[in-house]
Formats: sequence, structure tokens, C-alpha cells
Amino acid sequence: MENYLLAMAVSAGIYGLMALGVNVIWGFAGMVNLGLVGFFAVGAYVSALLTIKGGWPIAAGMAAATFVTALVGVGVSLITVRLRGDYLAIVTLGFAETIRIVASNAIGLTNGTDGLSAIPGPYRGALSPEVFNLLYFGIVAVIVVAAYGITERLRTSPFGRVLRAIRDDEQVAAVAGKHVMLFKVKAFAIGSAALGLAGALYAHYTSYIAPDIFVPLLTLYIKLALLVGGLGNNRGAIVGAFAVVFLLESTRFVIPLVPGISPVQGAAIREFLVAALLLVMLRYRPAGLLPERLSQLPVSGPAGRYQPTA
Amino acid sequence: MPSLGDVGQLAVNGVMAGTILAVPAIGLTAIYAVLRFPNFALASHATIGAFAGYVANARLGLTLVPSVLIAFFVAGVVGVATDEAVLKRFRPAGYITTAIASIALTIALENIVRFSFGNELRGYDLPIQRDWRLGVIRIGPQQVQNLAIAAVTMVALFAFLAFTRTGKAMRAVADNPMLASIKGINADAIGRIVSFLGMGLAGLGGMLIGLDTTIDPLTGFRSILSVFAAAVVGGLGSIPGAVVGALTVGVGEELCLLFLSPDYRSAVGFVAILLVLTLRPRGILGQRAY
Amino acid sequence: MLDRTREPRRRFLKTAGALALTGMVPTIVRGEEAPLQLGVLTPLTGAGGFDGPRMAKAMQAVIDEVNAAGGLLKRKVVLVIEDDQTNPEAAVRAARKLMDVTKVPAIMGTWASAVTSAVAPLCWESRTFLTTVSGADSITKLPHQGYLIRTQPNNYLQAGKHAEFIAAMGVKRCFMMSIQAPFAEPTQTRATEVLKQKGSQMVGALIYDKDKTTYRSEVDEALRTNPDLIYLNGYAPDVTILLRDLYRAGYPGARFAQSYAVTTKVLESLPNEVTEGVITVQPSADVSSPAYELARKRLGIAEPDSYETQATDWASLVSLAIAKANVATGTGIRDNVRKICQGNGTKVYSAIEGLKLLAQGKEINYEGASGPCDFTDIGDIIDCKFRYNKVVAGKFVLIKVA
Repeated sequence: MENYLLAMAVSAGIYGLMALGVNVIWGFAGMVNLGLVGFFAVGAYVSALLTIKGGWPIAAGMAAATFVTALVGVGVSLITVRLRGDYLAIVTLGFAETIRIVASNAIGLTNGTDGLSAIPGPYRGALSPEVFNLLYFGIVAVIVVAAYGITERLRTSPFGRVLRAIRDDEQVAAVAGKHVMLFKVKAFAIGSAALGLAGALYAHYTSYIAPDIFVPLLTLYIKLALLVGGLGNNRGAIVGAFAVVFLLESTRFVIPLVPGISPVQGAAIREFLVAALLLVMLRYRPAGLLPERLSQLPVSGPAGRYQPTA
Repeated sequence: MPSLGDVGQLAVNGVMAGTILAVPAIGLTAIYAVLRFPNFALASHATIGAFAGYVANARLGLTLVPSVLIAFFVAGVVGVATDEAVLKRFRPAGYITTAIASIALTIALENIVRFSFGNELRGYDLPIQRDWRLGVIRIGPQQVQNLAIAAVTMVALFAFLAFTRTGKAMRAVADNPMLASIKGINADAIGRIVSFLGMGLAGLGGMLIGLDTTIDPLTGFRSILSVFAAAVVGGLGSIPGAVVGALTVGVGEELCLLFLSPDYRSAVGFVAILLVLTLRPRGILGQRAY
Repeated sequence: MLDRTREPRRRFLKTAGALALTGMVPTIVRGEEAPLQLGVLTPLTGAGGFDGPRMAKAMQAVIDEVNAAGGLLKRKVVLVIEDDQTNPEAAVRAARKLMDVTKVPAIMGTWASAVTSAVAPLCWESRTFLTTVSGADSITKLPHQGYLIRTQPNNYLQAGKHAEFIAAMGVKRCFMMSIQAPFAEPTQTRATEVLKQKGSQMVGALIYDKDKTTYRSEVDEALRTNPDLIYLNGYAPDVTILLRDLYRAGYPGARFAQSYAVTTKVLESLPNEVTEGVITVQPSADVSSPAYELARKRLGIAEPDSYETQATDWASLVSLAIAKANVATGTGIRDNVRKICQGNGTKVYSAIEGLKLLAQGKEINYEGASGPCDFTDIGDIIDCKFRYNKVVAGKFVLIKVA
């Protein structure tokens, strides 16, 4: 049982790291990134390939994954930074799906739908599964705490304040002399770095990655984790991530209590419960249903819709 | 080297596929135009419509047209109900939160269908016929039938928007909500009507897709990407745009088979979205609703 | 912004929740009365959702029979079923629950190759026995130390045998349409090779997107090569559409598909004209083997398909191995599974038959509904026959077993 709880805590920690990263992009800078699972995939594949095919040590692989994903984040944001919110969302979603399709078909590089097996984990062979789990939980915990520290610092720093100003009203920020695009790209890079590191952590933990893992459902979980915890709130991001994993796993134990249903019906009930409870938590979250940013209020009307991009 | 006939056939296939795609695409874009958020629950409403039509046709023995109408009606009613009960409460928080809530909603609804019907593939109780050959081009009677249904639906919708008072009120709210409310149009009521219409169209589209194939709980989910691409390419919020976008995406997905391996097809949808949004974010027909 | 008093409350709730869960897990106090739990991890939702429920049902049918005959090791057998959602990330969490909380000695039922590849390392690390249908060649090559068996013949074996059959039918021009999956390329390569050896020819192949709602253009591409037979290498949802589109195109030639792609349910959902003459194939025991007939009766289905028979065999193999080992552990199953399905013992064709003989101290050789169930050291099927059916007027008719 402890092993299971530890493993779930590792999952929640990795989700939490992703949430912290997306918080910088979305919560602070107001950019909707629906393609975060694509960055997660990039980090996972970079670290996996470097350690399997290149023989790199794991820590180096993870560092490279973080860096490369940040670069990819810069690239994507440069292309999309001029897009308005909802269009940015769609394009980033397209990015994630494209990554998945490329990973499925570039068989020479990524092994295609077969996936990459035998990704090394720290001391994996030498330790029993229980001890390995404990060690990995320790690693993830340290990284999440560090990431929390960094993002909290960012939030209260001048950089964070500028990001929030950009989120609330880009034109005002630009008028105030801030190079809006540069800030947005930086925010995207930081968030992508976190996502890439999370991907690498996932790869070395489970020892296997495949394109089928990087599906939009994962993006949904992270978004919900952030919204439930309160957008822009770092502690909320981590708590939200744990809440999502808790929901996903606790519903497993509830289903056998329902009498007289087939396995498919049980699975359907469980997925329904997860979705419904997430909606309930979203509706009644402690942070309240705050508007995401001032310019999104309904009364802004046509002015909001025809707003030219910065 | 593909012949002109081959290209022509691909184009015809694309137009047929695009016309069916247009129906749910209009639904998505209409809801976006009035309620200001992309309602991803469209996927599950397409599935619900397809299954409602299935129950009408295969279980109750109704013919095609009444079954299609039932698909539209049931999906529409569910659409209004879920919007009132679930999505409306998220709207004050902004369109992103509402959009994400709609994704969670679609998962919940899909599983209600799965609970009730299981995962088995089901087919409508309708005859299947061989294709007709017009010269080099091959067209199926079912395709023509679907085309007719889709065309009639679209004509009816355009007539509704152009000539009825409710339709005009809907366009007014979409174009300029503040002005519309000053003129005394009840935005809430219009919102309900567009939810009914939009999701009804999704359900109708779901059944049209299912007529050609089979249906299962994932029917709507499989098409949502193409529907979304169609709406965006045409201009999110523009109803004629949805039709143009659907035809473009439909034909595009077929023509790309000329030089791409068929398994890259879904990448086409996304690349299309990406290209449109980088080069012309307003989409082909821009953002005016009508 | 977050209320400081709520945050510790949430942490407390999570810990309390975890403790409550621990309480809900049945704690085994008196050994004989506690049920023997076996794990099932299979797709009940997601892309594989149309296959998982059938497999679960087949396993449950075997276990019901075993329980009616007295259970295993004097305990009632209970299947603990988890949904892998056809997603490796979800599957890994579900597998952990089965292994670490329910503590099952075996997990049966993974379907998607990526899911099996993701779950396998967990299984061999925790010494849990895994049985699967997944077709990717790489799966049995993993360092699983014997904790994995695959009842699906590998692609090389299948493709070769199928190609032999197709050539023997007199087909000169064969076209293959596959979905993008790990089995696509190896099947195509081997089939092309064998067809050539037997005087036939693979005139073309294409990979299609399994989520499309129409395949007219893909069908056109195939028909341009004028094939006598089209091999439909996909799953039920897409093959159903392909059959319809082939009918509409007026294709007169033969169609060949795996039994799991054209099941009895698929026949029910399609008009007879569309499926008339379709040939399906599944791994099988000898014609004379009663195992398939027993599976038919047990499931109440006219023609159980490949997945249903394999699932039947998993439940039987695992049960017999546990009985032979006299303990319910993954290592026990691993060390004993080949002792009950290979070798010189008395041939048995069902779990209950085998359990009876084992109780009398006799040696047995389980011959399954999906084949003789003889495994190599790495867990692949050594050899098996194939059962070829033809669809006539919406029903399956046996052509031959070869």
C-alpha cells in the first residue's frame, strides 16, 4: 500500500511541477497553453534518447531536456506571441498533437508507436522497487520544492509584476515602456523548462514512454489542477495537482461498492465521477470564481473582440 | 502520377465529407458567436444525437428523416440543459474556464452514453447501396442523401437567421451584445436558443457521420478536431465561414493524400489551423457572425 | 491569495483520505476464507474499449466455472478489474494499485502494445505475472525474466501463415491496408516475403488513419492496383468502415481480416451484403481439440473471436499454474505455467478438467481455445494452427484449420 501511495505521490509531484510551469505561462502572463503535453513529450524524449542512445548520465539528460524544451518554448512563443488568447490556445493544442504525430511516425528516431523502453532510472537495478520508489519520491519532492521556491520568487519579483501587468492589459504595459514580447517569450521559456523537466522525470521513473502517453487529456488534468487551486497561485497549483491525482485514484476504490454493474459500466461511472467532481471542485473552489483577467469581463463587448493584437 | 480523374475523385470525396462536417461546425461557431466560448461539449452532443437517432431508427423502427429529426431534437435539449445546469455558471469566470469546463462536461456525457449502451459498435437499420459511377467519378447514394440533409439543414438555418425575428435577434447579440441588450433583446433567452440550435446541429452531424459508418461512444470525439479546424479556418464566429471552412478542411484532408501518407491526415487539420491563424487569424470569412 | 487555514486542511483531508482508503482495502485475517484475487487490466474505455469488455467477460466465465468446482487452493477466486483506458500513463497507475494494494499474483488482459510495454517493467520488478494479446515484436524481447506470456502468435508467425493461406487460395495480387501500429510493418514485410515464395504477389500496401469516418480515397488507392484480395489489418471500428466503403466501391474481390476486427457483433451491425464472403482468421488449436467448443458453450457465442479465446486461456493457464504451484504468487505462476501447458501430461481442454487431474497428482498439458498454448522461453507462442472462417449470410462458416 505504501508503495502505491508513494507512486501516486510521485505522479502528483510531476503533475505539480507541470502545473507550476504552466502557472508562469498562464497564471502570471495570461497566455493559454493548451499544448503543454507537447512540451512534456519533448522533455521526455530528449532525456530518454540521450540516456539510452547517447549513454548520457541521467542528471545530464534531465538538464538537457529542460534546456531543449525551453528552447522549443521560445520557438513556439515567437511564432504565436502575437496571437490573441483563444487563437494561441488553438495553435498550442495543434503543436502538442503535431509532436505526438511526429513521434508516432518518426520511427527511426523515436521508435514510433512502439515507444522507448529501458530508459534508465537512478540506481534502478541496484535497488528494490520499494526503495527505488522512495528515492525517486525524494528526488521529485526536492525538485518540486525548488520549483515552488523559484516560481514564488518570480511571482513577487518585478518580473512577475510585469507579467501580471501584461496579463491584465497588454496595451497599458506596452505604453509603460515594457518590451511585451520579450517578457512573454521569457515566461514561455521558463514554463516550458519546467514542463520539459517534468517529462524527463516521468521518463526515468516509469522507464517507458510512447506517443500514446502524451494526449490532450493530460493537458486537461493540469489545467484543472491550476483552476481548482486558483490560477496564479503556486501553492494552489501543487494542491490542485494532488487533488486531481486523489480524484483519479480514489474513484478506483469506490466503484467495486456499486452492485450489479458490468466492468464497462464501472469504468464509465469512474470516468464520469472524475469529470463531475472536477467540475464541482472547479465551481466551488476556495479561490472563488474570479475573472481571469480584467479585459475578459462580458461588458467589454465588441471592444474586447476586435482588440488588435499587440 | 495521379490522374485528373483521381484528383477529381478526391475533390468530390472532400466536398461530400466537408458538407457533413459543416453541420456541427456551424453549431460550434454559432455558440461561439453568441456565448463567446468554444464549447467542446459538442463532441459528446454529436454522440448523443447519433445514439438518439439510433434508438429511433433501430429500436423504434422509424425511417431516416424522423430519426434525424429526433437526433437533432434530443441533442438540442441536452445542450440547453447542460448549458443551464453546468456551463452557464462558469461564464462569469471567463471563456477559458468555461471552455475547460466544457471538456470535463463532454467526458461526463460520453460516459453516460457508454454506461447506457456499452462500447459496442452499432449500425443504423438502413439499406446500403453500391456507388453510382458518373464518368470517372464515383458517388454514393448515401453521400447524396447526407448532402441533401446537410444542405436542407443549412438552408433552414440561414433562413432562420435572415428572416425570423429570433434569428435576427441572435445575430444582433452575436455582433454587438451591448447594443442588443439596449434594444431589449433578452441575452439569456438567445443564449438558450443558440445552445439548443448549436448542439442540435452537433447531434444531427453526429448522426450523419454515423450513417456512413457505425456509432460508439467515441463517435463525436473522433470528429471534434476536424470540426474545430473547420470552424477556425472559416473564421470562428462566422456561420457562413463554418461552411466554407468545413469544405476547405474536407477537401484539404482528401487532397493531401496525393502527397502525404494517409496516417498523417490529422496533422493536416492542425497544420491548417496553424497556417490560418498565423497568416490570417480572422479566418477566411472573418468574424462577423453572418 | 489562498486562505492560509484552508491549505493545511486540504493536506489533512488528503492524508485522511489515504488512511480511509487503507481501511477500505480488505485486510486478510484468516487465510482460507479470504478470496484469491487475480488482476485484470484491460481497456474498458478509450480506443480499445470495444475489446476489453469481451476479454473480461471471457475470463469471468472461466473463473465462474472454477469457483463452481471448488475454487483455487480452497479459496474463491475473484477477478479485480481495472480499466487501463488504453493509455499507458493511466495503465501504470492502475497496475500499481493492483500490485501494491490488491497484491495480485497475476495481471491479465493488456491490449495496446504501448500499455503492455509500460506495465511490463512494473510487473517483473514486483514479480507479478503478466498475460497479454499485444502484438508488438519488442514486447517479448523485453527482459521480463519469464513474467510475461503472450498468447497472440507473433507477427512473423502470423503473417507467414496467413500469406501461405492466401497464396493457397489462388490469390495472385494481394493488397494490405493497415493502421499505424507496431504490427503493421513486420506483418507487411513477412507477408510480402512469403507471398513471393508461394508464387503470389503483394501489389501494394498503405497505412490509414484509424479515426477517420470514411475511407473512400484509401479504398480508391487500393483498388487502383487491381487486387484479388485485400488484407484489412486494423481493428473493428475502422475495418467496419472499410468493409462498407469497399462494398460501395463495388469491389468484387476477397477480403481478409483478423477475427477480432470482424466479430459476431460486427456482423450484426452490418448488412449481410457488406460482409458476404469476408474471411477471418484467428489462432486456434487443432480441429479435433474440444477446447474451442467448450469456449463456445461457456460464452454462449457462436464463434468466439481471437481475443475471447485468448482471454479464456489466460484465466485457465493462471488458475492451473497456481494450483500446480500450490501458492498464489507471481513467481509460482512463472515457474509452473509451462509445467501445466507443455510436456507429456494428459491433455486437458479446460481449467476445471485440469484442476481435477492436478488434485489427483497427475501431470497435465493444457491445450487452449486459442491454440496448443506452448510457449518459448521468452513467452511467445511456439506454434499454432489458424482457424479460417468465411462469412455466409451474416454467419461464420468454417473453411479450415491449418
